[in-house]
Amino acid sequence: MKLQLSLAARYLGRRKLRTTLTTLAIIFGVLLIFGMNTVLPTMIAALQANVQGVEGQIDFSITNISGESFPQEIANRLQNVAGLRAVSASLNRTINLPADYIDRDPARPDTLIAVNLVGVTSEDARSVRAYAIIEGRYLEDSDTASAVISQTLADALSVKVGESFSLPGASGLTELTVVGILPPNIMPITEEILVNLPQAQEMTGETDRVNLIDINIEGFADEARRNEIQQQIETALGKNYQVGTLTAGDEMFAAMELGQIGLSVFGALALFMGGFIIFNTFRTIVTERRRDIGMLRALGATRRTVIGIILAESLLQGLIGSAIGLILGYLMALGIIKIVQGPLSLFINLKLGAPVISPLLVLFSVGLGVGVTVLAGLLPAWNASRITPLEALRPSQAEIDVKRKTGIGFIVGMLILIVTTFVVLSGQSALIIPGGLFFLAGLVLVTPALVNPLANLFGPIISWITVRQGIGGLAKSNLKRQPARVAVTASASMLGLAVIVAAGGLVSSMTGIIDELMLASFGSDYLFVPPSVMLWGSNIGSSPEFAQDLREVEGVEEVSTFRYGATTTNGQAVSLIGIDPEAFPNVSGLHFLKGNQSAYKKLASKRTLVVNGAFLLAIDAKAGDTIELQTTNGTVSYEIVAVGMDLLNAKVTTAYLSQANLETDFGVTEDVFIQLNLAEDASREAVKTEIWSLAANYPQYKLISGTDYYGAMKTQMDAAFSAVYIVFVFLAIPSLIAMMNTLTISVLERTREIGMVRAVGGTRRQVRNMVLAEALLLAAIGTFFGILGGMYLGYVFVTGIKVLFPLGYYFPVSGITTAVIIGLFFGLLAAIIPARQAARLEIVQALRYE
Amino acid sequence: MSIISTENLSKVYGSGATTVTALEKINLKVNSGQFVAVMGPSGCGKSTLLHLIGGLDKPTEGDIKIEGVSITQMPDDQLTELRRRKIGFVFQFFNLIPVMTAVENAALPVTLDGIKPADAYKRATKWLERFELGDRLSSRPDQLSGGQQQRVAIARALVADPTLILADEPTGNVDTRSGDEIAGLLRDVSKQYDRTVIMVTHDPRIAAYADRIVFLKDGKVVDETLLDRKNHGAAAVTRMIKEIGD
Ligand SMILES: Nc1ncnc2c1ncn2[C@@H]1O[C@H](COP(=O)(O)OP(=O)(O)OP(=O)(O)O)[C@@H](O)[C@H]1O
Ligand SMILES: [Mg+2]
Repeated sequence: MKLQLSLAARYLGRRKLRTTLTTLAIIFGVLLIFGMNTVLPTMIAALQANVQGVEGQIDFSITNISGESFPQEIANRLQNVAGLRAVSASLNRTINLPADYIDRDPARPDTLIAVNLVGVTSEDARSVRAYAIIEGRYLEDSDTASAVISQTLADALSVKVGESFSLPGASGLTELTVVGILPPNIMPITEEILVNLPQAQEMTGETDRVNLIDINIEGFADEARRNEIQQQIETALGKNYQVGTLTAGDEMFAAMELGQIGLSVFGALALFMGGFIIFNTFRTIVTERRRDIGMLRALGATRRTVIGIILAESLLQGLIGSAIGLILGYLMALGIIKIVQGPLSLFINLKLGAPVISPLLVLFSVGLGVGVTVLAGLLPAWNASRITPLEALRPSQAEIDVKRKTGIGFIVGMLILIVTTFVVLSGQSALIIPGGLFFLAGLVLVTPALVNPLANLFGPIISWITVRQGIGGLAKSNLKRQPARVAVTASASMLGLAVIVAAGGLVSSMTGIIDELMLASFGSDYLFVPPSVMLWGSNIGSSPEFAQDLREVEGVEEVSTFRYGATTTNGQAVSLIGIDPEAFPNVSGLHFLKGNQSAYKKLASKRTLVVNGAFLLAIDAKAGDTIELQTTNGTVSYEIVAVGMDLLNAKVTTAYLSQANLETDFGVTEDVFIQLNLAEDASREAVKTEIWSLAANYPQYKLISGTDYYGAMKTQMDAAFSAVYIVFVFLAIPSLIAMMNTLTISVLERTREIGMVRAVGGTRRQVRNMVLAEALLLAAIGTFFGILGGMYLGYVFVTGIKVLFPLGYYFPVSGITTAVIIGLFFGLLAAIIPARQAARLEIVQALRYE
Repeated sequence: MSIISTENLSKVYGSGATTVTALEKINLKVNSGQFVAVMGPSGCGKSTLLHLIGGLDKPTEGDIKIEGVSITQMPDDQLTELRRRKIGFVFQFFNLIPVMTAVENAALPVTLDGIKPADAYKRATKWLERFELGDRLSSRPDQLSGGQQQRVAIARALVADPTLILADEPTGNVDTRSGDEIAGLLRDVSKQYDRTVIMVTHDPRIAAYADRIVFLKDGKVVDETLLDRKNHGAAAVTRMIKEIGD
């Protein structure tokens, strides 16, 4: 063993550059696994807080059994309960407003008869709920007689930031100054007035008392964990308190589960990539050292000794690399959390402490680092032991027996690919993650056999670029020389990249669609919103005269309305939305999944429908079909001319048709939702006043400014998605390093050849271009496989998103284009250092290099 | 006219306590068409001299002129072009590219020069056929014997029609018969095609193929002799080495 260890140490010491590179690979693998798993839980918590915050979702809310208020110290009893992320105690009291308190006009019905006074500890409240201030600022502890209210309430009270209003309370009227404005409320809720807790306690005469504790628990607790936490809360508080669970809606959970699946897939990918970087390096080490090993064997070293040398070397490197990797991984986690903290804290009060080092994770990472390194060394070591002494005397072998090595792997890989493809098509979500991993493994197995054909396919393109330099062919043959290594590098590094690109593309197009939908549904200048959006049938609408009056207001350019009707087709309930085919696209619009703007024209001309995704799923119809709708005078045929959706009707089985048809066949003339746009040059204030006075006659509507609402929603959405993008970027970097590593090793390995090319007259440029051409080829092959993997994951994503958003799977053209561009770009980027290194080799040194 | 002339050529490796003077003030002139053998004990600086003349390395002091042009201050690209067009190298270890066939290897300098592959292969084939390798054109290096590989390397050295061939122990790795073949080949090249050949060797028998032998010792030229084909066989050269060694 002594000989092995000392030989190993010598090799490591003498080949400093390569040792550095290999160790770097190990460091990186460990760093990735350790760092990712340290950051991920924190990121998940942040993501959850974001989503929950935006939606105002609370996990548990605690009240006294009597319904009365209780001492605020009670909240302290929760200090020792594990698993709570945020706790906020508040005092909530409804304040009834005297008649005509707002408008001081007995003739008009009051739109606002009560408000909710909410006293909070400002930072605590912000950790359970997001308050996206659109104007002014959020509450501060030192504020007295200050309030934060919504835009809707501010409009009703006619106050702006800095102005005050008075509110009746236990101790008479209290003047409150508005310090911040929240987005308008679309849903019919009692308006809230947010003040500091002492302020509310004073106004209601309930000193040191609260009546509600809101709790959010740790990220993605499963059902069992939730129950456990609830139990602990109940024990801590005693019998007098009840714990209400406001279980988040199914959609919320679906979205979160999806997020968790996504992050786990990325974690697994990171692990996979780290392992392969190491494996790769050891393979090259053995290939490179065939001559040395042959010589050792010739001198009488046994096979065991040879295996021992390689393994001792991997063990040494594994230990060193893991140790450094742990330290760097921790620092990276720290850095990422620091970076993320900034943007997130603007939005939600989320205290991300230093990353927690879990001893188990440390053990796991070191075990994995050393384990994978030794394991990765095992196969090469075994191969090394089978090198014959003869090989010491031969020039380096050009080709390892490709066919024999790839034959079985190819067949097994193909089988795995076929099976996993069926798995994903079956839609069994439990099988999707393991299926994904097997799919990747299958790709890796198939790749070696495909390297030659692919190199031949892409080779001509690359040599066409480099032919004038006479080195294109060389790059190609260099790749073909080690198909297995190319396969591993290409698939391991690019798969990660392409998956990220595909997923990133998907997420970005999702946000794009949501944004477009939001803009269409809420982006008009003013909206008249009925008490219940989505459940149109329960609303009292307005006669067409109201819309007509609005149209006639000076400065109003266009008014578009929804009319609602209900019908059935084949016994299935369908919600009908009547639109004005001319005005609607100018003010709002549908997002078309099939068909385009021209569908509006068709709506105007005949009995035609535009249906949404939910409709397609429920009715099992497609564009072009004709369906029978039940009307007051029997069934009538309607043709489906397009598939499109808007945000308000996304989840209900909905068909859009012209208001004229809705009137003829279903007898509906009532408007239930009104959107209007102002003319460019309109005097906004004047128009606003007039609209307000018209609106007063229709108290069933809430009037909100769409532009403000849309702006607030968009800020929240952008903040929520920024976390996702940070994870993507973070995962893309390893691909780059893996490729750089491989290229550098391949330059090192060919030092002598490069020296020779230089000696017989190859210029530095030609040598550099040779490495670049090789990198491009590698990237092209890798991207090819990466896209396959990316499409698989994309399909998984869409399947998951369908719960929320019936989009249907579309071939991700833009994702693929981006993957190709980024893949080739990464190839070039990874080649920069190795190419420079190759070009700068001292010729004489290189010729002596062994 | 001398195709090569060196002036006080010195090469020192390392610095401080570990400096090694590989070459010390070498003044050497080689005439066009001459076949020169460089001999001397191991470590005396033969390879270093060849590397300097071939522009693979830079001297510490002194100057080298090839066809009257100094190459010591030449920028790298110009030097590379010179190597590609005017100089052909043959190394002891064959230094063929393992992934290329014999003809591709032999054609490399002209391919690198931007000549169309088809034309380049034609030129390489011509030389390979002359060296009796016409039937091994598409063999890869690991399918060729040591002597065959070395002949491919010589074909590669000649394919660009260089005026100067530099060979560092070209026979060091092959058997006696192949060694004789290769030395004879180099002599033919020098005589038939009027090329200047400088060859480093340890073997007196091989050196005997040359027109002139330069003896190096401790980085200095200690002796040199012109060989007369009739009077100087391998035995005579061996005698000479013995004398210098003393
Ligand atoms: N890169 C280097 N660094 C330090 N010393 C060197 C280096 N290259 C060569 N030398 C030294 O320079 C001297 C001349 O070396 P060179 O390779 O020219 O010898 P040689 O005559 O070719 O020997 P051989 O017949 O064994 O090939 C030797 O003493 C060698 O140790
Ligand atoms: Mg030498």
